[in-house]
Amino acid sequence: MQTTKEMLMNKSKFRRPDAMDRRGFLKGLLAAGAAAALPGGLLTARNATAAPFDPGAYQVFRNACPRNCYDTCSIKTYVRDGIVQFVEGAPESTFTKGALCVKGYTYPRRLYSPDRIKYPMIQDKRGSGNWRRISWDEAMDRIADKILEIKKRDGSLLGLGLTKYSGNFGITNYGVEGMMSSLGYTTRFVGTPCWPAGIDAQNYDLGDMWCNDPEDFVKAKYIIVWGGNPAWCSMHSMKYLYQARENGAKIVVIDPVFTQTAAKADMYWRVKPGTDGALALGMARHLLDKGLVNQDFVNNYAVGYAEFADYLRQNVTVDWASEISGIPAEDIRSLAEEFAAAKPATVWIGYGMQRHTNGGAMVRAIDAFVAMTGNIGVEGGGARYGQMRTWGFNYHAMIRKQPEGSIGFVGATGPKGEFDFAGESGTAYSDRALNINKTAQEILDAKDPELKMLWVSCKNPFAQDFDRNKLEKAFARLEMVVTVDQFFNETVQHSDIVLPVTTLFEEWTVNVSYWHYWLSLNEQAVKPMHEARSNIEIAAALSRAMNKKAPGSCTFPQEVDGREWMIKEFNKGVYDYFGISSWEELRNGPVKAKLSSSAAWNERVFMTPSGKYEFRSDLCAQNGFKALPEYVPGREATAPFRLLTPHVQFGLHSQFVNLDWMENFYPEPFVYIHPDAAEAKGIRDMDSVRVFNSTGEVKVRARLTSNVARNCVVMYEAWFRRLAFNVQNVVDDCAADMGAMKTGAPGVAIHDQFVDIAPAG
Amino acid sequence: MNKRYAFLMNADKCIGCRGCAMACKNFNRLEPSMVWRQVYPLAESIYPHRERAFYSLACNHCDDPACLRACPTGSYEKREDGIVVHHQETCIGCTNCVRSCPYGAPRYNAEEKHAEKCSMCRERIDAGLLPACVQACPVGALELVDLNTLNEPNAVQFPAGYPSMPRLNPATRFILPRMPRQIRGQS
Repeated sequence: MQTTKEMLMNKSKFRRPDAMDRRGFLKGLLAAGAAAALPGGLLTARNATAAPFDPGAYQVFRNACPRNCYDTCSIKTYVRDGIVQFVEGAPESTFTKGALCVKGYTYPRRLYSPDRIKYPMIQDKRGSGNWRRISWDEAMDRIADKILEIKKRDGSLLGLGLTKYSGNFGITNYGVEGMMSSLGYTTRFVGTPCWPAGIDAQNYDLGDMWCNDPEDFVKAKYIIVWGGNPAWCSMHSMKYLYQARENGAKIVVIDPVFTQTAAKADMYWRVKPGTDGALALGMARHLLDKGLVNQDFVNNYAVGYAEFADYLRQNVTVDWASEISGIPAEDIRSLAEEFAAAKPATVWIGYGMQRHTNGGAMVRAIDAFVAMTGNIGVEGGGARYGQMRTWGFNYHAMIRKQPEGSIGFVGATGPKGEFDFAGESGTAYSDRALNINKTAQEILDAKDPELKMLWVSCKNPFAQDFDRNKLEKAFARLEMVVTVDQFFNETVQHSDIVLPVTTLFEEWTVNVSYWHYWLSLNEQAVKPMHEARSNIEIAAALSRAMNKKAPGSCTFPQEVDGREWMIKEFNKGVYDYFGISSWEELRNGPVKAKLSSSAAWNERVFMTPSGKYEFRSDLCAQNGFKALPEYVPGREATAPFRLLTPHVQFGLHSQFVNLDWMENFYPEPFVYIHPDAAEAKGIRDMDSVRVFNSTGEVKVRARLTSNVARNCVVMYEAWFRRLAFNVQNVVDDCAADMGAMKTGAPGVAIHDQFVDIAPAG
Repeated sequence: MNKRYAFLMNADKCIGCRGCAMACKNFNRLEPSMVWRQVYPLAESIYPHRERAFYSLACNHCDDPACLRACPTGSYEKREDGIVVHHQETCIGCTNCVRSCPYGAPRYNAEEKHAEKCSMCRERIDAGLLPACVQACPVGALELVDLNTLNEPNAVQFPAGYPSMPRLNPATRFILPRMPRQIRGQS
């Protein structure tokens, strides 16, 4: 209920209604007079006026953060008067443990942001900023007309493309892929810029990507965080690392940057970027020399060990590894010995480490080092990378049939990806798969038919895809771009039609993590703001328009109920895995998988062709790589400074940093450069500089810090609503080695980029 | 014995994530421009690695609060449990408190023309809950403690970089950050 004071003050909805009750208002009037009359009373304590916080005064909903994040937090949302008043972490999840992150706490502001895209809009000329409001019906009519025109012109819908990735991982949002299938065979951008090289590497070695429960870090006695920065990117994991240390574990961070995680470690190694494989092999060689290899594991649970040992003896020495990686030989030796002596010991393989032309090879070398110490399949041990064991949903929204008579790409090879759950289709036609990591080039190269129309959802290509200048040229080829989003970002600027999509509070779905083992319901907590619709409601609206114009042209249901569709994602397998009998139990809070062990591979039965850990992978060799986890050198430098563009804690890719709340804490991006390098270039702290290479240029201010090496500069990727800053101006689309086997396309060498830097002048 | 509530700011655990500060905005529904808690990176003269160690600071809930002394309208209250509460309803927005606090805790809300500051979420404490910032810390770097029973030999009251104001006797206590051993293979 609104108080007198609030009515008088015309307080915004955003003020806390219980901060001041009627009694407080009256007391306030009295106190003002009393204070004036009694100066000596200034120091007299008064009774508190605010009533204790009463959680019972709110309706509490269950939500889940659907972003592409290890932590995938379980959220409790407090609603009163139909308004999300505040959010907090769900206490029922021991992983979330009552705490969200700096991003998660901005969600109420995101929901009520004045910057939100409020209704469908059409831009008179792409990039002009001349947006006009249109109705949903008009938007869908225009889109349906274009789709039907393409189909008539080409005889297929391969000229219609979808690019979608990780902007919203709520399971029902796979209805976007479902919508495309329901129209016919289309073009899909497949693969992932995130983690594919490491996924394939782990598949070669172990037969699947499957990590220990991160909560079992507390059992570890030695932890190497290798090429990852959980203090920023998985901050809920940090409490387990701290607890492990309190239990006696040592924490080592290996990273080219002195990260926030490194600052919290017992030891930090600054490795030369792209040489982690050599370092791991040097450590492996030392295990061999000192007789520290776990013979039980390599003899009974692995194949190819003898060949790998021969490779090490003939090709690797600790001094060689030291020379390549820059880490002194005596340190390599002592770390290998400490790791082998600690039981259990574990390596957390970060995604940054595999974003290199030799990324998959480096992950295989680290896997091999961990395997040699017998730490695979051990609680508190493991070569941890990620897991998809918790993702066993029905994908009801995603798996849709093409209309009868649809023409597609010849052959049933089709797109695939790590989140592609459709399985084998067995049809004569398939969608056309283009490499998401070369989006610009693929659009430019697409022939027979050319790509004419692009649907963008859960993705911001101008923030995430590589070589932004080339992407502009590619988008210029497209006849229509439709983007589904919440804010007017750079991709929306390059679109013809924008459709407003719901936030997590405005839709039903269900979420899991690729790291921890919790399952969270996402309830609709409030009615959608403005004219926002969920992705499946948008699909239904398109289906209505399509079928009105051409009956039978779209198989997507024309009416959907978000709650019903969320329920349809569950099955007995999910219920059994998480030990529940109905999704409704999730209304009481998130649940964790019933794991027989906190260790992945605890039975040491592997999913490789041999059923064992494969030091020698013939499958890897068949796919064009070395059978053994051999050393592969990295990409040659093409400019004086290596550029790293990792994640910042204030954003997730292009999300969150645009919100005014976040601007309080992160108003401006910087390029971080070593003071010596800056001096040589005539750059002082906070100077404006140009960071440039043959791909493009970024203008930004510099911050001087020895957290980065002299020959390395760092810019954190983000989208600032008022700045042109975009790291993809200077990141090209050079491929990583692995990733095609499991995700449909190789990864990207995001951290094998080179730039020069100069004062902006 | 009365409690004397205080924040224990463990800079050794703090990862500078700003979750505490944003949780404060979220729970207290601050105006977009307002911040009651801020996370300050330590100067390199104090901690040698730039932006890698932090103090998370809000109101220090002093024993003898400068804000309370400076306020002409009696809008500040010192509770028996140590919490310093600002009463917005009687504040006239004179900003005496804003200028007198050496820690910058009270801030002027230009939108609503009054000062405001961290109340240690007293309405949550009174309901048996933790302050929003404390609950939000994912690594246990921010704790609610009772100074009358605190047994933390490493806690300090006036760490480097934090204004030393013994007369005000601020309640916040700090644990200093560690420095890892470093091997910099690449110069």
